[in-house]
Amino acid sequence: MDFMTAMDISSSGLKAQRAQLNVISMNMANIRTTKTADGGPYQRKSVSFESTPVYSPFAQEMHDQLNRDLHGVKVLGVTADQRPFKQVYEPHHPDANDLGYVTYPDINVVEEMTNMMQAMRGYEANVQTIQAAKRMFQKALMIGNG
Amino acid sequence: MRGLFERHIQLTGKVMDLRLQRQNLVTANIANVNTPGYKAQSLEFEEKLQSALNQNALGKMTRTASDHMPTEFSTAGFKGDGLEAFKAREIHGQDSVNLDKEMAENAKNTMMYNALSSIIKKNFQGMTKVIQEGSK
Repeated sequence: MDFMTAMDISSSGLKAQRAQLNVISMNMANIRTTKTADGGPYQRKSVSFESTPVYSPFAQEMHDQLNRDLHGVKVLGVTADQRPFKQVYEPHHPDANDLGYVTYPDINVVEEMTNMMQAMRGYEANVQTIQAAKRMFQKALMIGNG
Repeated sequence: MRGLFERHIQLTGKVMDLRLQRQNLVTANIANVNTPGYKAQSLEFEEKLQSALNQNALGKMTRTASDHMPTEFSTAGFKGDGLEAFKAREIHGQDSVNLDKEMAENAKNTMMYNALSSIIKKNFQGMTKVIQEGSK
């Protein structure tokens, strides 16, 4: 139980939100991508989070029940969205099929923007907690110099 | 026995410790705001501390031997209760953590911590004053 723990937890939160923002940017950038290395159009990606213990198993045993349960957050993985692609009739497009249809990834800008806002607010909340921990630390240091 | 450092300094220090512990839990909750299935945790100590402190106010038990257990409140063994949310919120479209509540708790806790540290600081300042002025 110390200030550094609070900082570590917040930084894990910052890292996770940033990872989500990266993936959202990738989705937005590839909104009209019809060709990828794997072949076929770009597939929308999403991030999943998992809570993770803050302390190492050894340190965990040394702490009391409360501190043992402290959890940070980590990115579990990036998964490809399995929603079907959009078919758009564009006969002059180089990737059009025999019938003149082009397959585009089904990415909803509004959905991505909403997720982006959510990631941003989550990031800000974590910054606030780091600032709070820093203020508390400063105050604790001030006790000595009466 | 009255010493140079009065008992309430230790008590204030203990409460600061508990507040730091609470801060860590709140931080963990905020970090996990988007984690599905995460159970929010909280630390409760105010009421328990009050009743523990009231042991003195209610009247001490008479100790017939010095080996008997003292009734006076000691900060060393006091601990708050860690509570885990009954179940994780897994309703679609809702965060697993109540962010508004946690942010308010975060602000409140920081303010209280800072206030307590000011109190301790003032205690020591007062003590210094007594020592310095007394010799004049």
